[in-house]
Amino acid sequence: MSNFINVISPLDQFEVRNLLSLDAPILGNLSLSLTNIGLYLTIAGYLVFIIGLLSSNNNKIVPNAWSISQESIYATVHSIVTGQINEKNGQVYFPFMYVLFVFILVNNLIGMVPYSFAATSHFILTFSLSFTVVLGATILGFSKHGLKFFSLFVPAGCPLALLPLLVMIEFISYLARNVSLGLRLAANILSGHMLLNILSGFTYNIMTSGFLFFFLGLFPLAFIIAFSGLELGIAFIQAQVFVVLSCSYIKDGLDLH
Amino acid sequence: MIQAARIIGTGLATTGLIGAGVGIGVVFGALILGVARNPSLRGQLFSYAILGFAFAEATGLFALMMAFLLLYVA
Repeated sequence: MSNFINVISPLDQFEVRNLLSLDAPILGNLSLSLTNIGLYLTIAGYLVFIIGLLSSNNNKIVPNAWSISQESIYATVHSIVTGQINEKNGQVYFPFMYVLFVFILVNNLIGMVPYSFAATSHFILTFSLSFTVVLGATILGFSKHGLKFFSLFVPAGCPLALLPLLVMIEFISYLARNVSLGLRLAANILSGHMLLNILSGFTYNIMTSGFLFFFLGLFPLAFIIAFSGLELGIAFIQAQVFVVLSCSYIKDGLDLH
Repeated sequence: MIQAARIIGTGLATTGLIGAGVGIGVVFGALILGVARNPSLRGQLFSYAILGFAFAEATGLFALMMAFLLLYVA
């Protein structure tokens, strides 16, 4: 019973590995390493920079295709921010929302490349983003409204007897926002990639079993291709939903509905 | 024994996706009905539908996350 076989699990594609590391006993056991997630986040940063360079189009006024894509992303995020928060005063939050959108979108799309690494599938990254956003919205609410911020937890038109229970429920639901925002993004990307990994493993086994099975394996292969298309849509949708909900939480902090 | 229990637990946790399927169907059914009543609101209603789809999908994926946690981590 103690002969354990080395099983390849579908979670292996998400493992954070050290690519280059420096472990030295100086300065109290220094251990610096470039991990695969660090490398892919850096690649994403350079990709955003290069797309920005290509969109500048030699400083021509007429846009090329890259410029049009950048303008459409700008217009999308701008419409989300002004629609959700406020027409005039909401633009202060636009740079933050734009960076959030582009960061999540580019990292999702880099994860769609075969054999690469999906950085946004890690809960620690999405939780740090979502905790930061909701904490920021809460601090914004406190700085603008002071202790009246707690009126956020009292729904309108609530009978006085139910008030303690309702406030507690609303408070817990507010705390759950931190987790749900990040969990939504990471869970979508993680489950999509894991499902593709498992299905591809099975389809490979089918298609390499024999001559007839090669053609039989084309049906699950077609499903995998269609599901990859859905994953591409999910990459865009999850970035948009993250930004829409972040704007909604900032609006709750500012306006106390 | 633990491995068998883990696999059974994973299968049971995956039934949470029933809710996700029903929820997504309800959201897009409501979108179709809404656009049928008032086709000019198609853009606005579609963006609400995508938001609702993300919420419904997220709730289903919470259950799927528990399933994966049980299978590979616990």
